[in-house]
Order: sequence, then C-alpha cells, then structure tokens
Amino acid sequence: MRLIAASILLLLTLTASVVMLGVPYHYAQQDRDNINAGATHQHWTGTDDLGRDRTVRLAGALLLGLIGAAAASALAGSLAVSAGMGAAFAPVWLGRIILYLSDVALTLPWLFLLMMVRSALPLNLAPIHSATLTFLLLGLLGWPAFVRANHARARTLRTAGWLVHGRAAGLHPLQLARQLLPHLAPLLLTQFLIYIPVCIVAEANLGTMGLGISEPLPSWGSMLLALQNSALSANTHWIYLPIALLVFVLLLLEMLLVEVKS
Amino acid sequence: MKRLAGAVLRLLRVASLVLLAVLGTMALLRFAPGYFSDSRELDAQHASIVREQLQSQQQREGSFASTATAQLRSWMHGDLGRSRQFDAPVSSLLRDRIHTTTRLLAGGILAGWLIALLFALPLSLRRGSSGEIMIALPVALLLAVPAGAMATACLLANCGGPMLVLAAVIAVRDFKMVYSLLRQISAAPQLLYARAQGFTTARIIRAHLLPSLPGELLALAMTSFVLALSAIVPIEVVFDVPGLGQLAWNAAMNRDLPVLLAVTLLLAVSIGVAAIFADSADSRTEREPACA
Repeated sequence: MRLIAASILLLLTLTASVVMLGVPYHYAQQDRDNINAGATHQHWTGTDDLGRDRTVRLAGALLLGLIGAAAASALAGSLAVSAGMGAAFAPVWLGRIILYLSDVALTLPWLFLLMMVRSALPLNLAPIHSATLTFLLLGLLGWPAFVRANHARARTLRTAGWLVHGRAAGLHPLQLARQLLPHLAPLLLTQFLIYIPVCIVAEANLGTMGLGISEPLPSWGSMLLALQNSALSANTHWIYLPIALLVFVLLLLEMLLVEVKS
Repeated sequence: MKRLAGAVLRLLRVASLVLLAVLGTMALLRFAPGYFSDSRELDAQHASIVREQLQSQQQREGSFASTATAQLRSWMHGDLGRSRQFDAPVSSLLRDRIHTTTRLLAGGILAGWLIALLFALPLSLRRGSSGEIMIALPVALLLAVPAGAMATACLLANCGGPMLVLAAVIAVRDFKMVYSLLRQISAAPQLLYARAQGFTTARIIRAHLLPSLPGELLALAMTSFVLALSAIVPIEVVFDVPGLGQLAWNAAMNRDLPVLLAVTLLLAVSIGVAAIFADSADSRTEREPACA
C-alpha cells in the first residue's frame, strides 16, 4: 500500500515537472479569448477565470505544495528534535520551561496565529517571497506538536548504557548528539510525514481566506479561492479539478502515513 | 488543602497562558516587517497621507515594552480599544458577534460529537477489524479535505451550512480518537464476560461503556474545542457568517491590531477555561475510577 502510494506520488510529481517544463504556457500567461474554458486541444484541462492554463497551474501548485510542505516539515522536525533533546538533557528547570512553552503554543488555535502573522507581512511582498514566508511560518509554528514525543524518546536514550559510557569517556555534547540522531530517525520520519499534509491543508485554508501565497504564483489555496469566486459563472466541471487533485494527494499522503504508523 | 493548591495552580496556568498568548501576539505583530503599513497605501490618492500618519504613529508608539504596558493597563480598566477599520469600540464589535460564534461552535461541536459517537459505538463493539475497514475510506477522504475546501464545496453544491461543515470537521477527527478509546475499553475482560453471559449490545453500552467514558471524553472535548476554533475562521469567511472568526479575518486583512489582540485575549481565556474543566474532570476520574 505504502509503495503504491509513494509510486503514485512520485509519478504525479514527475508528470507535474514534465508539464511545467514541456507545456508552452507560463503559469501566469493569460488567454483572454478562453476564459473559464473547458478541456480543449490547446488547454488540456481548460482555463481559469483569467484565461490561464489550468494544467500548468495545477502542476505548479502540486510541486510548490509538496516542496514547500516538505521543507516546512523538515524545519518543524528539526526544531522539535532540538527542543525535545534540549528539554531531556538540559537542567530540569530549563527542560520544564521548554515543555511548558510547547504546551502553551499547542493550546492556541494555530491557524488563527498563522493568519495573524501572515497578515502582518508587507503588502508589496513578491509572490515567491510570500510562498517562502508562508512555509517558513508553517515550519516555525509546527514544532510544539512533536516536542513531547521527542522528549520522551530522548529521555529513554539518556540512560542507555552506551550514552552513559560516552559521557563518562568525555565525549563532547555535539558528538553525543550525532550518535543520538540515528536512534531518533524513525520518530523523525513519522513526524516528517505527519506534518506534510498538515502544511498542505494549512496553506489551502490560508489561501481560501486570501492570506496564502500571492498571485500569480499557483498554489492550492489560490486555486480554491478562484474556485470560490468563479464557480457560479463557469460552465465547466473542470473547475473542480484542483479540489479533486488536492484531496487525492492528501489521501496518498495519508496512506503513506498509515503504513508508517503501523 | 491539596485541592485548593491544585485549583490555584490551574488558575495560575490559565493566567500565564493568557499573558503569554497576548504578549506573543503583540510581539509577533509589532516586530513583523509589515506592521507599519496599511492597505490604503495602495490607493495612489491617499498613499502619501497614510504614509505620514503611519510615520507619526511609529514615532508615537515608542518601545515594545511601553506599548505592551499601555495595552495591558487599558485592558485592566475594561477598555479593549477602538477598531482602526470600523472606527468603533472593540468591545461592541465583539459583543455583536460573540453570540453567533458561540451558537455555531456549540452546535458544531455537539453535532460532531454525536456523529462520532453514533459511528464509533456500534463499530467498536464489532469483533475483529471489520468496523475499521468499513469506515476507513470515508474517514480518510473527509480527513483529506481542508475545512475551507469543504465549506467551498458545500456552498457551491448548495447543500449544508456552516454548522454541518464544522460538525463534519470535528466528527471525522474525533471519531478516530473515540473509536480507539472505545476499542480499548470494549476489550476489557469484564465486557468479554458480559458478552459471554449474553448481555445485549444496548445494555453493554448503557451499563459498561458509557460510564467509563466521561473523563476521557471531557479531555477530548478540549481538543475538539481548539480544533473548532481553528476551523471556524475559514468556515465563517466562506459562508459569510458575521462571527468572531470573520471579524478576526477582517482585522487580519486590514491590520486592525486592537481587534486582533482582543480576539486573541478572548480565545486564550476561553481555551484556559476549557482546560480547567478538562483538568478537573480528569482529576475527578482519577479519584473515582469508573466502575467496571
């Protein structure tokens, strides 16, 4: 199951890359004679409300979503493992403060927090910077969810014989951390895979509210917002393709996750 | 004495949560690169005047510590400030919208829990994993749809409203937790014995399963509440519901700091109070273990 899901995801990513490179349209190029059009030989899955090729935009959204979410997930995982290990190996009072702060951050509705921070960014932000900042924020706000798990794992490792021996032998904390990381790898992989769909969903939700990645860069959020704005005036069912593909990608990621959890 | 100390500790925890949330929000917004900018700057006619206003505001505000102290002091006196966007007292804006959001939250959470329980109870009592397999696909499908996308789809299909979407968001996430909780409980030896004795499913649910649940369910309700608070923003925005979520979104789009801070304060207080309820229910369950 995991292999099938991973293969389909890889195939989708490769197809999206080929589309981005091979199709003679730019994601921002407008064809004003074909607005909200259905599938044609020219535009395989039709065009949006500005006459932009939907296939190219979908491919761009898929690639941007996956790459951005993977980067955000890696950042959140790194911060979580640093905080978890820090809390386990630091003096007790410092460990408690780290865990308390992560608990406080966890109790806040983070979509709301994300929305506030995203809204406070400059108005004239370039699209690529808005994408970078959106995923950077997702990475920076995602670590508290995983701190407890990392802390628990690091605490069990703290009393391991080889680690005690290493400390007694005078190994530097950084050397010890390098030895510890492989033991945390399975946990890190699970966290990484858990947080990718979370980031994609968060970006889509932010985009629905007009606070996601700026136009004309294609993203799941901006495509959902366009669907909301143009669905009533469009005569084609192709406009629902972004939502269908988004759900399909998230299902594939969920399938990957089920296998890893089991 | 021990109980009093526990209550004081919980109150301190809530107070620190509120303080940290408010100070964190202030710091995040105050130091964000776009804090001293306004959407009116995009209008060529007013841009220069707005820029001058923002510059004078920047000079007036001073350090972060003085701004935060002034804000906290005015809150102590019951003054939540004045909305920059609506030019109205923030307290009156909140008062107008709080009922709508409370109704939506209460209805959505309640309906979500009912749906989750209605599916989880009978499925958890089935032997083997057939129940899990039956529900796996719809659950995975619903989990994969973002709240904003679900709301958009409902709006376009002209079926269901904000409460139904919120209920679906809550139900699908809570179902997984309630189902695994019930599976654990239903595997207990006394329930196997009750089954062997020929007790009906309805009686097992009424006499054995439900009494073991309240503590855990209250703790899970806290998670649902936080989840609902996150989901309510896109839902209110998409369905154009005049609630707190829409107000916060409007404030975020227009950089209306007093409104954003007041909504954060309200959210932090409500989450803190919900956490107190969840904690006290949890400690009560620990003191009085459910009879088997």
